[in-house]
Amino acid sequence: MSIPTSEINSRQKLLIDSKAKKQESKIWQKFRQFYLGPIIAFVVFLALWQSVPVLLGLEHYILPKPTDVVAAAIEDWSLLWPAVQITVVESVLGFFVSAVVGIGVSILLASSKVLERSIYPYAIVLQTIPVVAVAPIVVIWFGAGYNSIVVISFLIGFFPVISNTLMGLNSVDKNKDELFTLYNATKWQKMWKLRIPSALPYMMTGLKISCTLSIVGAIVGEYIAGIGGGKGGLGYSITVAAMQVKTSYLFACGIAAAILGIAFYLLVSMFSNYMLNSWHDSAIKADK
Amino acid sequence: MAASSMEVVSYQRVSKVFNSETVALMEFDLSIKKGEFVSFLGPSGCGKSTALRLAAGLERPSNGTVKIFDKSPKKVIKQTNDIAFVFQDANLLPWRTILDNVLLPLELRGGNKKEQKKEAIRVLEMVGLKDYLDYYPRQLSGGMKMRVSIARALAAKPKILLMDEPFAALDEITRQTLQMELLDIWQKEEMTILFVTHNVFEAVFLSTRIAVMSARPGRLSSEMEVDLPFPRKLELRTDPSFSQYVEDASLLLEGSSIKRELI
Repeated sequence: MSIPTSEINSRQKLLIDSKAKKQESKIWQKFRQFYLGPIIAFVVFLALWQSVPVLLGLEHYILPKPTDVVAAAIEDWSLLWPAVQITVVESVLGFFVSAVVGIGVSILLASSKVLERSIYPYAIVLQTIPVVAVAPIVVIWFGAGYNSIVVISFLIGFFPVISNTLMGLNSVDKNKDELFTLYNATKWQKMWKLRIPSALPYMMTGLKISCTLSIVGAIVGEYIAGIGGGKGGLGYSITVAAMQVKTSYLFACGIAAAILGIAFYLLVSMFSNYMLNSWHDSAIKADK
Repeated sequence: MAASSMEVVSYQRVSKVFNSETVALMEFDLSIKKGEFVSFLGPSGCGKSTALRLAAGLERPSNGTVKIFDKSPKKVIKQTNDIAFVFQDANLLPWRTILDNVLLPLELRGGNKKEQKKEAIRVLEMVGLKDYLDYYPRQLSGGMKMRVSIARALAAKPKILLMDEPFAALDEITRQTLQMELLDIWQKEEMTILFVTHNVFEAVFLSTRIAVMSARPGRLSSEMEVDLPFPRKLELRTDPSFSQYVEDASLLLEGSSIKRELI
């Protein structure tokens, strides 16, 4: 079976050509597959938003155009930027406290069946109390300002961490548990070397939920606990803007809060991927 | 009990009832001596896994006694590294590298880290995975994972190796390779092996003795010595003597299931 050389040459050429084309089109393909759709949707949405107030003749204090919102953000940047910074600090603090306390309490509860059985029901009851309802009590205890806001943010962010972590700590694979029993592992060896690593994916889910909630908590906290001497965060800016019917600026604050939430979520997701990198399915899919 | 010095595992009229109605094992009597390779062969539901788990102390007998070196399995586990267990799936910790997985039993017992590492590498070399120390389980094939699992079991230098259908999920070629490797390891490390399987060929190829079991209720229906010389190689599978043993074992298995249908 001999093939004429000219044919081989043309075949090889075809192969090389297609390879180069593949390389080139790969980026475009990926772009088209994942990014093009959302970008078009976004542009269409903005165009609609821009035209609706003009077409219906709505005043800017009822529904501002996107350009109004951008203008308001630029005009009041000196107010908006510090407000964002303050909210970031509050929610990050609230998040860290809920992560540390949440994981700590979960480990403590999971280490003793008796403890878990007696305390966990109350944790659930506590979770059903709307934090907004108890926030004034928090303000009475911790005073107006930072402390109360962080506490409120913590209260909202805490439960997803504890319920997810506890679920993870209690859903260890039976065979793995028996393996540790066969090697005469102590209770705490099982905890550190088996239960906590097994629970890691659950913990990360809890943290992802908690991080966006902590921003909600911080803003709600600012509504109630106010500024307490210093400058206020986004929540405070929103209350003030609402009273003054600065609708465009209200939109700017809302969008800033949303961007904050997304950024925080992405950051925690990156951390989660890093922690689960080597072994867990949810993280492995991402690197394919 | 004069012979008890040679006796490694002994089941004395052991019964196991689950949820006070399912009889998993009834009046099971078996004595296993040092250096034996005993297979528990039977259909599903015959209690062969339960028998193995009883020897590991993972289950308590409802009646009768299980003794390892004349002590209760629980006590043996508390005091020594004498018992190792290989599960049906490799049962590796996905967040640990191969080396760290094999180190686990040593780590849990405490001791010199450097020596532990040397020992872990020794057993990994024995199963042919010395070049995969830093890999994670998900990067390995099913057969390789099972090798790691066996290496982990060997790491603590057990005297008794309990294996619960370890090769059931592997393809035929991998299974045959691992069977021969297991026989090599068994002879090198001078262990007693209890091996659960539902595969007649596997039981004959590996064992010095086969305990044939039947189901509903699970019990020992007959025993069979396999008097084939070691080392056993692939050629043995085509040998008439091997076929004879397979036929005998199959008949015993069938007999036990026919008996079951008559009841």
